Amino acid sequence: MVKATLAGLLAHRLRLLLTSLAIALGVGFIAGTLVLTDTIDAGFSQRFAAAADKVDVAVLPAPGTDRQVPPHVPAAALEKVRAARGVADAQGLVRGTSALIGKDGKAAGDYPTSGIAVVEGPLNRTEITSGAAPKTDAQAVLDENTAKTRGFKVGDRITVLDSRETRHEFTLVGLFDVGLDQELGYTGAVGYTTAMAQRMTGQRTFTEIDVAAAEGVSQEQARAAVAAALGSGYQVVTGEKFADDLAKQNGADTGILKTGLLLFGLVAMFVAALVIYNTFTILVAQRTREMALLRCIGATRGQVFGSVLLESTVVGLLSSALGLLLGYGLSLGALTALTSFGAPLPTGVVPTLSPRTIGLAVALGVVVTVGAALLPARTATRVAPIAALRSQVEERTFRTGVVRTVLAALFLLAGAGVTAAGVAMDPGESALFVVMAGGTVFFLGVLIFGPVLVRPLGALVGWLPAKLFGVPGKLAVDNSGRNPRRSATTTVALTVGVTLMTLIAVITGTVRVTFTERLDEQFPVDYLIQPQDDDATLPRALGEGLRNRPELASVAAFREKITEVGGRGAEFRVGTFTPAPDFRPELDAGSIALLTPGTAVIGRHVAADLGLKVGDRITVRTAKAGAVDLRVVATFDPASGVLPPVTVPTADFDRYFGAVGDSRLMVNARDGVGADVGRRAVEAAAQPYPTAKVASAAEIRGEFEESLDMMVMIITGLLGLAVLISLLGIANTLSLSVYERTRESALLRALGLTRPQLRRMLSVEALILGVIGALVGVALGVGFGWAATQTMNDDVAFQVPVTQILVFVALSGLAGVIAAVLPARRAARASIVGSLATG
Amino acid sequence: MTLTGGEVGARGARENAVPAVVAKGLTKSYGRGDATVHALRGVDVSFATGAFTAIMGPSGSGKSTLMHCLAGLDTVSGGQVHIGDVELTGLGDKRLTLLRRERIGFIFQAFNLLPTLTAEQNIRLPLDIAGRQADQDLFDRVVETVGLRERLGHRPTELSGGQQQRVAVARALISKPQVIFADEPTGNLDSRSGAEVLSFLRTSVRELGQTIVMVTHDPVAASYADRVVFLRDGLLVSEIHRPTPQSVLDTLMKLEA
Repeated sequence: MVKATLAGLLAHRLRLLLTSLAIALGVGFIAGTLVLTDTIDAGFSQRFAAAADKVDVAVLPAPGTDRQVPPHVPAAALEKVRAARGVADAQGLVRGTSALIGKDGKAAGDYPTSGIAVVEGPLNRTEITSGAAPKTDAQAVLDENTAKTRGFKVGDRITVLDSRETRHEFTLVGLFDVGLDQELGYTGAVGYTTAMAQRMTGQRTFTEIDVAAAEGVSQEQARAAVAAALGSGYQVVTGEKFADDLAKQNGADTGILKTGLLLFGLVAMFVAALVIYNTFTILVAQRTREMALLRCIGATRGQVFGSVLLESTVVGLLSSALGLLLGYGLSLGALTALTSFGAPLPTGVVPTLSPRTIGLAVALGVVVTVGAALLPARTATRVAPIAALRSQVEERTFRTGVVRTVLAALFLLAGAGVTAAGVAMDPGESALFVVMAGGTVFFLGVLIFGPVLVRPLGALVGWLPAKLFGVPGKLAVDNSGRNPRRSATTTVALTVGVTLMTLIAVITGTVRVTFTERLDEQFPVDYLIQPQDDDATLPRALGEGLRNRPELASVAAFREKITEVGGRGAEFRVGTFTPAPDFRPELDAGSIALLTPGTAVIGRHVAADLGLKVGDRITVRTAKAGAVDLRVVATFDPASGVLPPVTVPTADFDRYFGAVGDSRLMVNARDGVGADVGRRAVEAAAQPYPTAKVASAAEIRGEFEESLDMMVMIITGLLGLAVLISLLGIANTLSLSVYERTRESALLRALGLTRPQLRRMLSVEALILGVIGALVGVALGVGFGWAATQTMNDDVAFQVPVTQILVFVALSGLAGVIAAVLPARRAARASIVGSLATG
Repeated sequence: MTLTGGEVGARGARENAVPAVVAKGLTKSYGRGDATVHALRGVDVSFATGAFTAIMGPSGSGKSTLMHCLAGLDTVSGGQVHIGDVELTGLGDKRLTLLRRERIGFIFQAFNLLPTLTAEQNIRLPLDIAGRQADQDLFDRVVETVGLRERLGHRPTELSGGQQQRVAVARALISKPQVIFADEPTGNLDSRSGAEVLSFLRTSVRELGQTIVMVTHDPVAASYADRVVFLRDGLLVSEIHRPTPQSVLDTLMKLEA
């Protein structure tokens, strides 16, 4: 029995390969994910372990309770640590912002560069890659990446703004590698001596104190001594634990990546399972006579069942092995790609297949393959020995069973019901989960109902090809609905991918339009000027400069302070704006003209939080005028909110808080002024203020769309795997069908069907299958995309990206046709005489 | 088997006309070197227009191979085949397919019909493939002749074996081919259905002037033909005109001896 099974497998190597490939792709993706994340984790651990060698004890601030002030270690602690017994050296680490000025005279980058202290001695963990560490207060080092992008080299003079935006000049004496520090990698960094770092960043405190123990003092002893010297309020850990904690923290980061990627891997495996199920079902149907013969010569039902399972086990093992190789290759490729995109990843770690990865991948591959083959194997046991004697295998006609209809109806109704409930719920994450659950149940209903849908949908989709391609077209339409169960499983595999892709397209399309609409509302201006650092402000002179420009029509400046509102500890941003002709913020009732001295307009959320309504009075604690009592004259929607949550008249604001700088400026160009002319005018006015960053609505929209497009591309690419697997399924089903219909094809050829016509017949059949799968997917994707967007917010602008979806459908059809190329070639090449004789 | 004078005259005239199918020095071999099998070793034969000819011979005599070569389903190793005025040998697949489509009809032993099509669609299939319209009168006559009027809407699985073969006969007739090749058309049928199908074939020769070449190993089936040619070991060895089951059987016995 075992021999017969293995001989059969070997005899059909191509089929074996196609089937294996479906599973191998899924396993490969999952194995690749594991290898990739393992490698990154291993790299992090290695790097952190290296850091731990230098640090014997680390002093960290206790987890902060006050969200406004980031946790820090007071400067006084350093002296206490240095005085502790067994401490050879202790250095405080400083980190803050110090904006590097680029060669264009403006602050470099979207965010101010970080300023850090490069400590002296063995405790230094900053890796200088060229030049030297800063020795004097006139020297500084720059991270390699910033130096490269901003065009600075060792020996240059660099200008950096301190925390009060005063310019300081330094000689660039070296470059350093930010290593695994994500924050520094993101912002870029300038390194100074410790004293200078404190001056530049304005930070008198430390983020961390690193301690080197004296000769012969263990890490634990040193830790105990330091902890005793400091008392409570600090986290004092050994270097070893410190490294472990850091590595774990990064492990959590890779954990998210891992979970995300594994989700896509599971979708791919589900599709692969459908493909395997279909393949084995067809194989069993085709080998009815073979199995009957085995039964005739004495094989038991159990042995027949076993032979199908054995076959699936072999396929599963082979595919898993192939998948492991594939996964290893994938992870290598991904690592190379990530590194070349400049992701802060540890380099120099060779990806390895851990026993866990191997075990998991093989187990998954085998379990999915054998699991998918169970039902077909059971069918195989039902073959009666007498079937061996029948000359021709009767085609089983498909009838819609009552059980199927009832079951499908139950699932569809339940799915639709749950989804409707999710849509009706208050928008939020839980509503989204309910909709997702409903979608899954509904999809199962479609899976059960699929065979019933295939024929009418095939007739619909095939209408045009049947008209266009004559006899081959008509035959293709007939063939596509010939075995509804088989066609349904084949197409559903494709539906999975298309549904998810459409879902993403609909959601992102909706988000895009909603965002654009909101942007137009919130950003009713041509240019927005903001300080590089969110917490900083811009001098009011900038606004004056802008107002003097003839190219610009209006300038609205916003000023804000966070302060206590309502007298019970709650803090809000209280602010104002300088009136400008084009700036008419929308209120729930009335116009902004209501805002008269002694009044305020507040966001609805403030009103809700403080239990206020229009006409009530509100207490605001001010810096200059003590607590003031203001009358609420109107509320507004914070979602469309350009306005500070509590907005007061301009003159009042100055009286309450003094001459606070502008936190943002909204600028409109005069009608008829070209975009580049307006931009130049704004840039010119902003030039004296290095931290003033100019953005236009078009740029913000562009940036948002770019990131959205990027996300869509990545997700679509990851879902592409599921689609690819389903295409293998189409190719597999078709080649098995071609094999089944060998004599039929020969008959058609004898009757005068040319080779191209025969090929076309199969291509059209694949086209129909592909388009059916895509159409169902699009319908589901749009439907549940709508449901999902309803859980996001009350007023989203639902949008179906029609072109994108049409492209999906067209590509699915095209892909189906491509999947048919090989089977069709084989069918057309077969000799008529030989084919007529088979069977 | 009495014939009226008119029919004899008509047949005489047709037999003198250009033969429908001619083969000259036809050879066909498979394999290479020591394993070479010579299925046909030089067959010269011609089939008259409007005649019903049977090809007989023991198993392995090459009768099916001969038919496949004559019908352009298989390539020849040597010699020539003409269908009407067209030489088959040397034609590419495309020309051969078009030739089959326009000039040749087929009836096979089994699996003659497409399971997805109804009887009527199966009958019209060759015309549909060729993109031609069926002559409605001819269609009605053919359907009447084979007695399928009531069954046109049925699919092959709903028809008996005899009915399926009758659909195949109707399909072969509908395109008025220059020649119909029938490969053991009654091989799978019981004797009554077989006799029916053979009668239809003979009627179509008599009444429609159809040319039919039939491969069979059944002397009774062969006796429906006007002429029987005998093959042995890839060579044409004998032929008889106006056969009876007995005369066919006698000839076969002699060949086997």
